[in-house]
Order: sequence, then structure tokens, then C-alpha cells
Amino acid sequence: MENPGEGTRPGGSLVVSCEKIDFAYADTPALSGVSFEVHAGEYVGIVGPNGGGKSTLVRLLNGLLRPDSGSVRVSGRNPATEPFEVRKHLGVLFQNPENGLVAPFVEDDVAFGLENLGVPREEMREKVANSIRAVGLEGYEHREPHTLSGGEKQRVALAGLLAVEPEILVLDEPTSMLDAAGRREVLEHLEALRSEKTVLHVTHHLEELVDADRILVLNGGELVADETPERLLSDADLLRENRLVLPVVPRLALALGLPPATLRTPEELARAILARTTTRAR
Amino acid sequence: MRLELEDVGHVYARGTPFEVEALRGVSLTVESGEVFAIVGGTGSGKSTLVQHMNLILTPTSGEVLVDGVDATTLKKSELRRRVGLVFQFPESALFATTVEEDVAFAPRRLGLEEDEVQERVRESLRTLGVEELAGRSPFALSGGEKRRVAIAGVLAMGPEVLVLDEPTAGLDPATREVLLVLIRGLREAGVSVVLVSHDLDEVAEVAERVCALHEGRVRAVGTPAEVFYEDPKLAPATVQLASLLKESRPEIGSPVRFEETLAALRSLPGV
Repeated sequence: MENPGEGTRPGGSLVVSCEKIDFAYADTPALSGVSFEVHAGEYVGIVGPNGGGKSTLVRLLNGLLRPDSGSVRVSGRNPATEPFEVRKHLGVLFQNPENGLVAPFVEDDVAFGLENLGVPREEMREKVANSIRAVGLEGYEHREPHTLSGGEKQRVALAGLLAVEPEILVLDEPTSMLDAAGRREVLEHLEALRSEKTVLHVTHHLEELVDADRILVLNGGELVADETPERLLSDADLLRENRLVLPVVPRLALALGLPPATLRTPEELARAILARTTTRAR
Repeated sequence: MRLELEDVGHVYARGTPFEVEALRGVSLTVESGEVFAIVGGTGSGKSTLVQHMNLILTPTSGEVLVDGVDATTLKKSELRRRVGLVFQFPESALFATTVEEDVAFAPRRLGLEEDEVQERVRESLRTLGVEELAGRSPFALSGGEKRRVAIAGVLAMGPEVLVLDEPTAGLDPATREVLLVLIRGLREAGVSVVLVSHDLDEVAEVAERVCALHEGRVRAVGTPAEVFYEDPKLAPATVQLASLLKESRPEIGSPVRFEETLAALRSLPGV
């Protein structure tokens, strides 16, 4: 980027840029000197301990908070001064869908964002129907959100987000309230969006990020690492310093002296173990 | 305390077009001083089930027994002191100006002496590892700190059974570990813990018995090994792995916990 100080420009390939941002809640610093860039189409993971600054960063990106100093640009705009414009380009899926569902029926809820943007009725119908289909909730249009399970609610929230057609999706621990099946479902729907969207994915589950392009590690309000998943999963010191714990399967692999980054599922690890027992037995 | 559910059913919005049968014929017993986990998919009835344990919800059929006595005959306030329920996202109920005041709210309402209240507040905050936050505003804390303060508030009531509904959802692995240590510590102190969780890997580490719910019914109840090896597809990663190896390496046995599994794997020839 020839002129990163100006931040991103509309239509440019740089979609998010943060430069030396500082933010404090009253006297408690939450982010200090954080700089990074995200290019169109990237899938970037964000991890780190509770209190590390992840949620604060998300809120700076969509203009719920404004930095004390430094600059944030999203699709070339400043979220602090143009939050409504920025939110057309960047949608946030929060951790707890309960807090975001407002309308009496699923389809009204999905339409909520579009209504705020004043989208014409016919166009709205089509976009709502498409989004509901994208998250696999056809037939749920007239259900009341409070009768849905957590996983279904999260998919309603995702549909509402997709209806606005933002090019950047920010996922703030979107699966932490879901069971294994719901989580897989939501992750599959998110995976399918990967080719069309730029994604920033905040999570405590490192296994959700094994296919990410990069993983940012925030700890104590500072950006302490920006690594590929392979490098991060294999760096025991970096993981420990940032209170990151490997999922069970790669942790078993590591303890057995097998490469953790390539053995992610029980099936993969089982194959590697069997290969070892048979070759050594021979 | 022995807590029993006998043939409990619960129907939401009975007689309306929105009627949902959330629980059907659920019978189970939580024995004194055990860690009893309830697992199942979203919508399987886990949260509905645990809200029957101190009668936040009343069964639409069947009954809840506390040491053999019909729970509906007990004073509600007494029942809720003895069976402490921590809801999902309990931090949304924090309200006081300081952490200390928030945690003191419930014990103060029990009519305890102020010295005793202060002692319980200190003890609960210490147990959760957040004593240094006592003077802070609960709203200025991180998500993990808030969660621990909210749990401390229920613990300060001195419950005999602590029911935790998804206590680790959204927490970082290190904070999760603090809560798992707390659960083990409570059991050693004689407090029963009912743990609702969709994280089977965490259930594998702490539970003594597991109840699997499916569509409002008890699908299986027993030791973690009994329940998880019956259906390895819906089991923690350790059990999935051991099940895959079992066919050619039966000597691996039925490990559940991480350390057990690692030991079993290391005992295989060549590994």
C-alpha cells in the first residue's frame, strides 16, 4: 500500500487498516499501539485470552467505540465518524444471538437491517429469502425467534447480517454458545461464504482457524503475533504465553511427537498412530 | 443432598399453537457430592431440565424430590438456597456498583450477620480467583472476570447442589481451566455439581456420571465411558480416537480423560 496513512480507499484491495490504535475504558487500557491490515478476500483469525482486547477491537471496527488515538479505516471510511456507512460494508456476528434478535418473527428479524437502510419492499423480500436460504432456515420464516434453539438463533442473526450484503464479516465468537452439531453447521455456512467475503474471525477455538490465512494474537491489549496457523500451532511457547490451548487431537499428537498442525481430526491422528505401530512392529 | 427427577415432563405454552414438548419422562438422580454432566444438542432440553432442579420451572408432569421429599412442599427460598442455579451468561444479571456488593446481595437477603456475609463474599471471590476485583465495578471487567463474579454470587449462598448451565461458553481455555478446577474442588468439599455443557472434551475431564439428552428424553445415563463408547460419534475427541483404534488395537481399552488416553496410546507398541 503506497499510502497506508490514508487508510483504505473504496474499491481498493485493502479493506481494513488499523494504525497504532490506542483505546482505554476510563483508566484501564484495552488496546495499545495495535496496527494491522487486512486485504480483500483474506480469512483472518483473532485469538487471545479474555481481556486481551479482542472484543474492543471488534467494536472499534464497526464504530461502537472510537479510538483514543490512531486510525481505523474500513473500506476507506472511518467507523467513528461514519458508523452507518461502515456497517453497510462490515457486519458483525456477535457471540450471543439472544441480544440481537428484536422482531416478532424470523423473517422480520432478517429484514430489520434492510428496513433501516430503506431498501424497497420487493428487493427486500428477495434479499431476505436469499439470506434465509443461505443459512438453511427455509420454513422458519414465521417462527418466533424465542422458540428457536441457540444454533438456529445464531443462524437467524447471520441471515440478518448477510441480507445487508456486507463485503466484510466480523465473527465475534459466533460458535461459543453452540453444540458440536450447531457449531459445525454454522462453520459450514461461514466456510461457504469464504470465497465471497473478507472474514475476521474472533474465537477461543484454535481448531476453527486451521484453514485461516493468518492468525492475529492479541494479549494485554497488544498485537503480539501475526502468524500462519501452521506456525502458531507448532509454537508451544507462543501458545503458552498467550494462554492458548491446543484442541485435544493436536495436543495428543504433540505429546506423542507427531506434527500437531497436520493432525486435526481423530481420523487423521488414528491413521498416523496406526502407521507407526505397523511400521515399527515390522 | 440427593436430588431426583421422576418421570418429569414439561410442555411450553400448552394448549396454544406454539405448544412445545420440551421434556418427556425424564428420570434421573444426582447423588450427594458427585459431578453430574448433562449433554445433548441445542434444543435437546438441557436448560429446561436444569431449571426444574430448583423449580424455576415446575414440571407439567412428574415430580422433583429433594432427599425423598416432594420439592413443591419446600419453601421456594430455602430450595433455591440449597440448589444454586447459575444460568447461561450469568454476567448479564450483574447489577451492583462494586463486585463485592454484587456478590453480597444474595447472602444478605438470607438474613445473615454482616460479618458472615463479608466472610462468604471473600471466600467465594477467592475460590473463583477474583478476590483482587472486589472493589471494581462489575461493568468494567472482561467477559471471563464477569462470569466468575456472577458464579461467586451464587456460591456465596452456600448451596448443596450447584447447577452450572454452560459455565465455560465463551471463555478462553485458561479461564475454562479455572472453572474446571473449581468444579473438582467443590466436589471435594461435598457440594454436588450439575454441569450442562456442549463441550464434550471438558465433560470428559470432570464428570463422574453423564446424562445424554435427545429431543427431551434421556438417551443414556451412566459413567462417561459407558455413555460415550455407546455412541462414539457423539463423544469427546479422546473417545472418538480410541474407538477408531480399537478394531486393530483392542488393548487400548476405553479411556476417556486426556491423561488416561495419552497413557493408553503410549502403551501401544511402536507409539
